[in-house]
Amino acid sequence: MDARKTDRIATVIFWAIGILALGILAFIVIEIFVRGLMTAINPSFFAGKPEALQPGGGIGPMIVSTIYLAFLTMLIALPISIGAAIYMSEFAHEGRFTRFIRFCLDSLGTVPSIVFAIFGMTLFLFYLDWRTCLLAGALTMALLNLPVLLRSTEEALRLVPVTYREASMSLGASRWTTVRKVVMPTAMPGIITGTILPLGRIMGESAVVIFTVGVFVRSIPLSPFDPAAPLAGYIWYVQSEAIVPDYRTIVNGGAAVLLILLFLINFGARRLSAYYSKRKSLGG
Amino acid sequence: MSRERYIKMLLMACASLSFLAILLIFLFIFKESLPAITRVGIPNLFSTAWNPDKGQFGMLSFLVGTLLTTLGGLLLGAPLGVGTAVFLDQVAPPRMANAIRRGVELLAGIPSVVIGWFGLIILVPFIARVTNSAGYGIAAASVVLAVMVLPTITALSAETLRSLPIELKEASVAMGATRWQTIRKVLLPAGREGILVAVILGMGRAIGETMAVQMVVGNSSQLTLNPFQPTGTLTSNLVTNMGEAVGNFRSALFAQALVLLILSMILIVSIRLVTRSKER
Amino acid sequence: MEDNGDGHKMQVNNLTMYYGDFKALDDVSLDFASRHITALIGPSGCGKSTLVRCLNRMNDLIDGSKVEGEISLDGENILGPGYDVISLRRRVGMVFQRPNPFPKSIYENVAYGPRLVGIKNKEKLDSIVEDSLKRAALWDEVKKILDRSGQSLSGGQQQRLCIARVIAVQPEVILFDEPCSAIDPISTQKIEDLMAELKKNFTMVIVTHNMQQAARVSDYTAFMLVEEQGQPGRIVEFGDTNTMFTNPSDKRTENYITGRFG
Repeated sequence: MDARKTDRIATVIFWAIGILALGILAFIVIEIFVRGLMTAINPSFFAGKPEALQPGGGIGPMIVSTIYLAFLTMLIALPISIGAAIYMSEFAHEGRFTRFIRFCLDSLGTVPSIVFAIFGMTLFLFYLDWRTCLLAGALTMALLNLPVLLRSTEEALRLVPVTYREASMSLGASRWTTVRKVVMPTAMPGIITGTILPLGRIMGESAVVIFTVGVFVRSIPLSPFDPAAPLAGYIWYVQSEAIVPDYRTIVNGGAAVLLILLFLINFGARRLSAYYSKRKSLGG
Repeated sequence: MSRERYIKMLLMACASLSFLAILLIFLFIFKESLPAITRVGIPNLFSTAWNPDKGQFGMLSFLVGTLLTTLGGLLLGAPLGVGTAVFLDQVAPPRMANAIRRGVELLAGIPSVVIGWFGLIILVPFIARVTNSAGYGIAAASVVLAVMVLPTITALSAETLRSLPIELKEASVAMGATRWQTIRKVLLPAGREGILVAVILGMGRAIGETMAVQMVVGNSSQLTLNPFQPTGTLTSNLVTNMGEAVGNFRSALFAQALVLLILSMILIVSIRLVTRSKER
Repeated sequence: MEDNGDGHKMQVNNLTMYYGDFKALDDVSLDFASRHITALIGPSGCGKSTLVRCLNRMNDLIDGSKVEGEISLDGENILGPGYDVISLRRRVGMVFQRPNPFPKSIYENVAYGPRLVGIKNKEKLDSIVEDSLKRAALWDEVKKILDRSGQSLSGGQQQRLCIARVIAVQPEVILFDEPCSAIDPISTQKIEDLMAELKKNFTMVIVTHNMQQAARVSDYTAFMLVEEQGQPGRIVEFGDTNTMFTNPSDKRTENYITGRFG
């Protein structure tokens, strides 16, 4: 029958699509690893100092910059997004204000990262006369990730059963006390899991760091006001300037390191959420 | 009680920060682009002539580049994304579905530069060989964009499908429809709005995507419809030039950023329109 | 039933309540005798829960709710402007229909209330927790597992934990909103026995759709009704429980009661 035949063809096509999707991922990862894995796991590479002109440079300070920046960004972004999420979920009534804020958040979420980058550059480097530094990048990145963090925190808060809040308030606790002592502790696992993926985004972001943090440093940045060179930006810089003779090796190696870093984060996030849901089902 | 009031205000301030942020961004970009708008003039800004040294700052070729690469990325990425979502939700056995879900998540996490680099060392030479050209251009950028929007479109479409009531499928199957018939005639139409939103959001990502595109599109100011010739997009132009630009040049670049902002706003509004009309 | 000499602990006078535009209660007046149990009975949707939730102003939490009339606790109108709602809820505690212990240990669940009022001393907390759990007839079952999660207990135990939690705050009134509807019969029996004990120290109001329970447990009963769907709830009859069940004055009360006993 014609319908059955079409169904069979469709099934084949869908399988092909599914395999293609996986295949694309596999292809990219394999190609990068084939070219860069050996370099990536070489200690003189991932812990070594970079070279501006000579071959053989490493990416030690870049890795530190990446982690430092991610940490700083979260330090700024988390309290704000958690505070805002608590307001939206626990204190505000759904109305014009909350709808307006959600609109602002959605808008913030669609602004291209390059626009954030030049905004950050203009504000911090030109108006405030800073030099390219971690803090400028962290502040800009915090804005960039605000919508994502706020949404995941709000999700986690909403999953807390209403009846806990009722019980707490009926015992004479104020809203804030209820949030602090009952809602937040219950929602914390979800909130934490929700911050892991943005962490990955922050580490992979290049446009913002190029314009606000820096693309090359010789030594490990120490203070938030030091210039730094997060890995994603450095890779772009090396491949676009192509000054050092072994730039391909460096880029391949750097890309592999980035992939490893991000896979670890992804894996860690999954483990964390599995751990928390296991604890929950045991009545913890 | 006043402590509670104080805390509530503090929290509200946090929420209001999002308004402050978007406002600031708009104001800054607008202010910085004013010199170009007033001194260089809109006709100049929207021409195809891009010669910064001679004071010509026409962004039209870049605008076209953005639109064409976005279109190309969606043409490739949307069917693939929706198809993957359908496969995940309706066709794949549980373990395969899980593997694909994880795979798409991983794909989403791959940084722009890495995909761009992959495009540069593998895709571009391949295109160059096959089409006897330089390899850079809209085609390369479209493929790269398709890879980048795939996770977004897949994830959102899959979620839309998952949230459809099971009764829909059951009703169709009970009437003797094949799986493909059910998908085509019942599920996809029912999920139309959510899938549309997924595609629009994918479009937003494509428009704003910077690094990967910049690495493969060729960074030329030439307006071309030939997918295998180097050209430029708004985002790639910004990355290439913003570092050193001064004066009117810089301001003209901000004007391009302003156009990008406006394009994103249009997307947000269209998403709101699509979802609101369904609620009627 | 003799009055314990304390008179009426709480009084409701001409209470009308709205959820937005919907009138849920109309001109309700009722007294709650000190250290006695008053039951609210009536068919589903007649407003019993709504009424009881007004007594500790839990309805304030619902957007668009509005109250008219007066509710007094020890003579003071709790609906008055500037009345301290937080302290009201400490004096008037509530046990909910579904047991809702916090995802904390048994100890922490009971200690939650005392901590709220600033009690930090470990010994004091220990003694309050033990005392409350004893009075909720749960101590023997949990005294060795105080660190375990409150949610790991059975349904009936969880509800007694919630009762202990309320007792720990040392309220004057305890409201029970259909406390046994989600509990097995044996635990229900335990809780009913518990209530008879608690009566000695607390004024209690119990909402129930189980008439045998109301007849067994309460000293006074109020019967509520809505005329038809969409109408507000009203009090049909209120009085001494024995009288109500053996010789009700209102025909509608009689119909309801005999319908069930029948």
